[in-house]
Amino acid sequence: MAETSEAKPSAPPPGGDAGEDDKRDERMLECNICLDTARDAVVSMCGHLFCWPCLHQWLETRPSRQVCPVCKAAISREKVIPLYGRGNTKQEDPRNKVPPRPAGQRTEPESAGGFPGFGFGEGFHMSFGIGAFPFGVFTSTFNFGDPRPSAAPRGTAQFEEEQFLSKIFLWVAILFVLWLVFA
Amino acid sequence: MANIAAKRIKREFKEVMNSEEVAGGYIKLALVNDSWTELQGTIVGPPDTPYEGGTFQLEIKVPETYPFNPPKIRFVTKIWHPNVSSVTGAICLDILKDQWAAALTLRTVLLSIQALLSAAEAGDPQDAVVAKQYRESQQLFLLTARHWTNVYAGGPSAIWEFDQKVQRLLDMGIDEHEARVALSHYDWELERATEQLFS
Repeated sequence: MAETSEAKPSAPPPGGDAGEDDKRDERMLECNICLDTARDAVVSMCGHLFCWPCLHQWLETRPSRQVCPVCKAAISREKVIPLYGRGNTKQEDPRNKVPPRPAGQRTEPESAGGFPGFGFGEGFHMSFGIGAFPFGVFTSTFNFGDPRPSAAPRGTAQFEEEQFLSKIFLWVAILFVLWLVFA
Repeated sequence: MANIAAKRIKREFKEVMNSEEVAGGYIKLALVNDSWTELQGTIVGPPDTPYEGGTFQLEIKVPETYPFNPPKIRFVTKIWHPNVSSVTGAICLDILKDQWAAALTLRTVLLSIQALLSAAEAGDPQDAVVAKQYRESQQLFLLTARHWTNVYAGGPSAIWEFDQKVQRLLDMGIDEHEARVALSHYDWELERATEQLFS
């Protein structure tokens, strides 16, 4: 912004009147192409502010040479960030206008916990499914949309039965794999 | 004229008028017509160059597509410089061609042209004859440029020897400017210039 500050007729004295300050604030928000206050503002990765229609036209004019009009850094339609001020909601949605302004990108914050699949109840089933590999395929293939029954509470007869069954399936699976290897 | 171009030129005009460079008398800008499509720029020759003390007029034509395309600028005042045509005044400056950027303004362009007068780029000449002289006989180039500045741009230092030679050709009934061009092209060798003019 050295150019802009240079161009000022005279620097306002420190503690000057509010009007001068307002004027300077406005200049800070001028589009670098039309030199007017930026509307449908977007900012490039190199930090330069433009009206989206102005920048769009600039990029259209030189499709082979997409550079920032201020610092000539590489620039592209995908790599500009729209600025949504507070007053923006009162205006019509800029994306309805031609040319459409690229949308902002929202990335969800990363979750703090580990892999959710290895939680307490459900994960128990899942690790068995993987262990009994060929049969796990069947269960997951044929049970479309059915919710898996939750594990039987520890200590009951059903729990013992399930443990026994899964052990049998595990051995069957191991034998099956050995048969595949040695046959 | 497209709305954005006219609007921007008006803003730039104001910016130039309030700039330090105008206040200091280094550059000037004036309107030629009411439609803001044509302007007249003025730059003074930078110090420590053969252009020092001269005032150079520039023709500025603003295209419909401004600022997405550069303004068309040429020297109206005749000037002896490797990157300016001594015939048409066309300027070879990258920012007026493929290196144009929409954030450049008339002020920055005028200052760039002024800077070009301080630092010629002989590797990318507009006028091959001038560029050759610039590379091969620097001293003669400086004198010729100073002479042109004196004659066409109101520069202070006249080169007496060159004036005499131009006068000799003038006496033979040759147009003054034509005589000066011929002499400048032939390193101020009167015989060769005469030969060329009468061939």
